[in-house]
Amino acid sequence: MSATVFHAEVGVSDEKQAAAKSARRRFGALVVRLGAIAAFAAIMAYFVIFAPGFTSTFNLINVVEQSAILGVLAYGMTAVIIGGGSNVTEGGIDLSIAANMGLCAAVYATLLSMGYGDFLSVIAAIAVGMAVGALNAVAVVGLGILPLLATLAVLNVAAGMELTLTQNTVVGASSPLLGLLVSGSFLGISALAWALIVFSAIMIVVVHGTSFGLRLYAVGGHPEAARAAGISVPFYVSFTYVLSGFCAAVASILTVSRLSASTPGSGELLLSVLAAALLGTVFSRRFVPTMGGTLLSVLFIGLLANGFQLLNVSSYWVNGVQGALILLVVAITSFARGSEGSR
Amino acid sequence: MSVSANDNNSAKVSVRGFLAKYSVLIAFAAIVIFFAIASPTFLTPANLFNVLVNNVVMLAIVALGLTIVISSGGIDLSVGVSVDMASMIFVMLLAAGYSGVVGVAGGLGAALIVGILNAILITRLNISPFLATLGVLFIGQSTQQLATSGGQPIYLTSGYAADQFNAIARTALFGIPTPVIMLIVLALAVHLLLHRSVFGRYVQAMGAQPGVAWYSGIRVPRELSMVHVLCALLAGVTGILLSATVKSYVPLSGNAFLLDAIGATFIGTTLSRERKPSVIGTLLGVLLLAIVKNGLLLVGWNFYWQQVGIGVLVFLVLAASFGLRRAAH
Repeated sequence: MSATVFHAEVGVSDEKQAAAKSARRRFGALVVRLGAIAAFAAIMAYFVIFAPGFTSTFNLINVVEQSAILGVLAYGMTAVIIGGGSNVTEGGIDLSIAANMGLCAAVYATLLSMGYGDFLSVIAAIAVGMAVGALNAVAVVGLGILPLLATLAVLNVAAGMELTLTQNTVVGASSPLLGLLVSGSFLGISALAWALIVFSAIMIVVVHGTSFGLRLYAVGGHPEAARAAGISVPFYVSFTYVLSGFCAAVASILTVSRLSASTPGSGELLLSVLAAALLGTVFSRRFVPTMGGTLLSVLFIGLLANGFQLLNVSSYWVNGVQGALILLVVAITSFARGSEGSR
Repeated sequence: MSVSANDNNSAKVSVRGFLAKYSVLIAFAAIVIFFAIASPTFLTPANLFNVLVNNVVMLAIVALGLTIVISSGGIDLSVGVSVDMASMIFVMLLAAGYSGVVGVAGGLGAALIVGILNAILITRLNISPFLATLGVLFIGQSTQQLATSGGQPIYLTSGYAADQFNAIARTALFGIPTPVIMLIVLALAVHLLLHRSVFGRYVQAMGAQPGVAWYSGIRVPRELSMVHVLCALLAGVTGILLSATVKSYVPLSGNAFLLDAIGATFIGTTLSRERKPSVIGTLLGVLLLAIVKNGLLLVGWNFYWQQVGIGVLVFLVLAASFGLRRAAH
């Protein structure tokens, strides 16, 4: 209502000015958008031409393999953001996901080194991951604590428990399952790459192909409307946190197989996970987080790191270029969103 | 609608409301009493001095900056970068033989650049604060790695300026350590700015209702830019204090402040019914975290268990505050 009043009071000259302003803005948007597309294309073209073996099948599978851990974690984060809404400070977020993965990896590796079999160890890791997720769910849904805060506290608990369990050391691990994940392959694609492919397929189908997924979007987009439509909002939000814990546990098994050990410092992955999940929103037309968008952004980040590696560029550049590209892509979409809004 | 009817209604739930409102204070008092009994050294002046100087001041100054940003409805994930950049330029200038004044100006200038970058990204390019500052965080990490060939610390060998600045971090005025005086002055300034000035009212309005703030004629981009610049500058002060205290620059060390500062600010929001950040609340949050850390250490918990303990305690305080308030409504 205040908008219409505001418009009524705008004089003719102001309107002209506004038109000129929006034209300039549209021109600016065009420049930035073309520039970004050109920059992205240039980077990829550069990799294709100059990075030896960038386009080889072996290398591309390698990228998928390297992206598996980040991808699985990013799916968990994406689910939480879908179910909780994408408001910066009050929406859904799971800061504990990377620390949770570290804890699960520690549990898994420790149990293996104590002589328990794969079956029990995997069950225990998944149970721990989902228990941490359930703790988040209780805090957010049951007690009404802001997700940002609740998962921050749980982050400390999980990270501290991992340190207590491993005394900040590397716990080596080997088992038939880990051997299979490292060296197994099917149709020429390695087991780790398969893990990401299968996990992605399940996630995309469940979130984007079922009524369950649709309700999840409803809960995140408009909780009151979802409640009025008879959807149990607390159940869906709780589910996303437990799912996020499950993703952390799956990622922990992948990371233990990749490193043949549980190592401290997995909490550093948190920012990359957040970046992947949030960057994924720009791949959707309505700028909402989607599983497909998350997959694309994870692969994009993977390709970037891989190209730099092949070019022998110092790895110190990777973070910075990644950050700059995130900003570029998001700036373009916010320009696009702005021109949509003015129409 | 009458006031008395309102009072009658609220009287029934006022005990719970009271508990919810002051749960952080009550928890704080309980924790202090517990550690005072459990450890004879906890309440000694030497220990409290140590907690203040080593655990409170630097975190609190970063948290003050975040309090301003969070009041405006945003977030700044790049405070660690501001800390690091200020620390890096400060130490590099001193190591190159410049005077302390030049070092401080350079350090604050570096933090200012981070703040201006954030402001441009958020207000000119319309990037959400979360993503904008996340991007700046990544870029800042790369910049530091490139500038220090992968993260080599820079040490200040004892020279004129180094000694002088270490002295400032270690001296006291009227028996109060200089860093603590700096914190008090800064906290007072931020308090007046946020709760007593026109700028503060604009910031609160932007945090409560961004759309309404815009239509009320508040120049949102300008005020928001100011918010992010102030936050970066405060983080820069911490960066300089950090270098002056440890006489070195250790790359990527600023990020350790980020999650604690966010936690402290949001713990502080439990003081107000509307969950608004406030300077007093933030300082209380920082004190709570610092006291728990120090107390658990004195009781003999090792570093690993301390982290679990802090997580559990913060979780319980939040649960009490949020849970009771929900029950009171």
